[in-house]
Amino acid sequence: MFRWKRLTAVAAVVALGLTGCSAAGGDSSSDTASQTLNLGVIVPATTFSAADANWANESPYMQAVYDTVLKADPDGTVEPNLATKWSYNSDKTELTLTLRTDVKFTDGTKLDADAVAQNLLRFRDGVSPNKSLLASLKDATAVDDKTVKLTLTDSDPALLTSLTQNAGLIESPKAFSNKDLKTNPVGSGPYTLDTKKTVVGTSYVFEKNTKYWNPSAVHYGTIVMKVYQDPTAMLNAIKGGQVNAANTPNNNSIDEIKASGFTIVNGELNWEGLLLFDRGGTMNPALGNVKVRQAINYAFDRPALLKTIGQGYGTVTEQIFPPSSVGFDKSLDTHYTYDVKKAKELMAEAGYADGFTLNMPSSAFFGTAPFSLLQQQLKEIGITVKYTDPGNNFIPDVLAPKYPAILMVLQQDPTDWQLINFQIAPKASWNPFHYEDPKVNEFIDTIHHGSKADSDAAVKDLNAYLVDQAWFAPWFRPASNFTVDGNTAAVFQTGNAVPYLWNIKPKS
Amino acid sequence: MIKFIVRRLISGAVLLFLISTISYVLLYLGGGDIARRILGQTATAQTVADKAHVLGLDRPLFVQYSDWLSHALSGNLGESWFTGQPVTIAITSRVAVTLSLVLGATLLTAVISIALGVWAAVRRGWVDRVVQFISVLGFAVPGFLIALGLVIVFALNLRWFKPTGYVNLTDSFPGWLATVTLPVIALAVGGIAGVAQQVRGSVIDALRQDYVRTLRSRGLSQNRVVFKHVLRNAGGPALAVLSLQFVGLLGGAVIVEQIFAIPGLGQVAVTATSQGDIPLVMGLVLATAIIVVIVNLVIDLLQGWLNPKVRLS
Repeated sequence: MFRWKRLTAVAAVVALGLTGCSAAGGDSSSDTASQTLNLGVIVPATTFSAADANWANESPYMQAVYDTVLKADPDGTVEPNLATKWSYNSDKTELTLTLRTDVKFTDGTKLDADAVAQNLLRFRDGVSPNKSLLASLKDATAVDDKTVKLTLTDSDPALLTSLTQNAGLIESPKAFSNKDLKTNPVGSGPYTLDTKKTVVGTSYVFEKNTKYWNPSAVHYGTIVMKVYQDPTAMLNAIKGGQVNAANTPNNNSIDEIKASGFTIVNGELNWEGLLLFDRGGTMNPALGNVKVRQAINYAFDRPALLKTIGQGYGTVTEQIFPPSSVGFDKSLDTHYTYDVKKAKELMAEAGYADGFTLNMPSSAFFGTAPFSLLQQQLKEIGITVKYTDPGNNFIPDVLAPKYPAILMVLQQDPTDWQLINFQIAPKASWNPFHYEDPKVNEFIDTIHHGSKADSDAAVKDLNAYLVDQAWFAPWFRPASNFTVDGNTAAVFQTGNAVPYLWNIKPKS
Repeated sequence: MIKFIVRRLISGAVLLFLISTISYVLLYLGGGDIARRILGQTATAQTVADKAHVLGLDRPLFVQYSDWLSHALSGNLGESWFTGQPVTIAITSRVAVTLSLVLGATLLTAVISIALGVWAAVRRGWVDRVVQFISVLGFAVPGFLIALGLVIVFALNLRWFKPTGYVNLTDSFPGWLATVTLPVIALAVGGIAGVAQQVRGSVIDALRQDYVRTLRSRGLSQNRVVFKHVLRNAGGPALAVLSLQFVGLLGGAVIVEQIFAIPGLGQVAVTATSQGDIPLVMGLVLATAIIVVIVNLVIDLLQGWLNPKVRLS
């Protein structure tokens, strides 16, 4: 009898412990009331060193601890931040920035022009994946304490936007020589990283910087960024109320997430479809023929692909420029309406009535459905797609280049100039055959050096030309979904994987 | 005894060297373009080449390995290529998490499987059949399915436990209990099935021995016979299975830590291996190998303590 009593007492203690834990552990709602944001993220911080910083999914880490020289609104408009004013010389090869004078780094060092100049040069010379953002930076010098002059090798239409991203992150110069630079950031941002509470790779704890120069941008006392690299774990964390805001694991789980009381904030960040790399026909002569590329575009039933692959979340498109671009033209999205007959005619006119074989890479990352559907739809017009799975070497092999065409999900950058230099220009990473077309080069030159009106018109013409010449075969822009609970609000950021940190705030 | 321990430690060191060499070569051969993987799809070819140079990936395999080995021998395992964190810190901050799961699961396995095994062996009949059925079921159902089922029922529906995350024991005992209970159960189920069968078989064998009949004829109670004498004799094989189970659980923790987003060695092993983070993977290989060597040594010593017949000279 006594043993049973003792057992019951132990069980009661455990039960009370667990009950106590529920209260102590805290639901997201109580955390919000005490101004804690639990943010679910899908990648850990690669580094906190501003010179080598990543962006996109890692932008919340950087924006917590660092300020950028300039700041972007949700629609991409460039606004003042550390720099209050800026001006170019006549040929846009010199940018002069005027800085705030009331900013201090968390180590007590005062922000000055020399600190900004040093940071910009370090980013240019660092190993950030986006270091090309400052490729045109020849030099950066302090004119006086609050004035920085950037000298460029050539004008850069995207420079101001780049300074709102990782290229504009400013770190305390005193921290440059710190051994723990990659894991212990010293910036002037709205929060500081609590290295004692942080488990690198798993959860990062940020505490409010009480001396921050712009208190209106600080919405929480504490931000905990929890890394969920497994989509199931992320979904369980959302459904279990362990996060206030998070990247949505995938579009399959949106209904479940909504049923848990969460709201979806969505935007369109990427485009999904084919990059017909070998436009010169050096690896696969058929792709050198514009009629074949056009036939490929006619072969896809894009609404069906969106429904099957993207679960209907997104927008069908045939152009790689996003709606936020001055070059976007909605009418281009029906340029190649699904028409197998027309596609076969074009194949015959190009001399490929009997079809041809197209070698492409596959990747488990995208699932199997897109590759099967692609294979089926191209088979209809006589093209036999043969896949090779390069495994972890997918991107290196694609950019080597080892394939004449690929299926991919690619980002639509916040500026046209960034997009052009990422996917179109002769030296663009995603133009691995470095294919050149004199007409395209002409458009690019006008976009680079022309007046605002000429540049905008050239972007439009370039987009129309690329669609007509079928450089790509886009299918749709998948919706990028961000999840917030009932106490949290967020605004989607044009051209970024997640909302900017200051745009995630308590609803009240 | 000391001679035995020294001999085992020396063979452990040789094992560590061999494992580290093979692992490094395999990682190098299967690594692909690690610099590109670190920098992602936006980086230019030149940026990727710069990164490869900074990491020393443009050097021959032998030079890279000997460089890593010489640093490792001086206790410097380098930094993670993906997070910049020193490897020793990345491992030491996570090893306690994984060990708390694995030790908890081993303890749970030992207690439940001994109870079930002894119950089945002593009672036989329907009890035996039920225990055997449970064992087969435990073997058949994959650990990750059990983990997902536990999360859905006890964390998301009943809200008794946390679906993800980990709270340190030193920070909050109830918090720790709420975060480790489900993962420990998920890890233990497969083990219980195996060890319970082993205990059952060993106890049945032991119960048939002459000394048991003698003990009974002297008027000793059933409980005393079973728990003081039979179990001690039957414990050897069960302990061997349990030690294998412990090593297996280190592997099982990989899946469970992913599902429960627990910051342990398993979770980081999955990430580091898929990324090609050679310094971190090598650190993890060493840490795991050291744990396995130590566990095997301890089990050998325990076997000797349990059964004088196998006591070491």
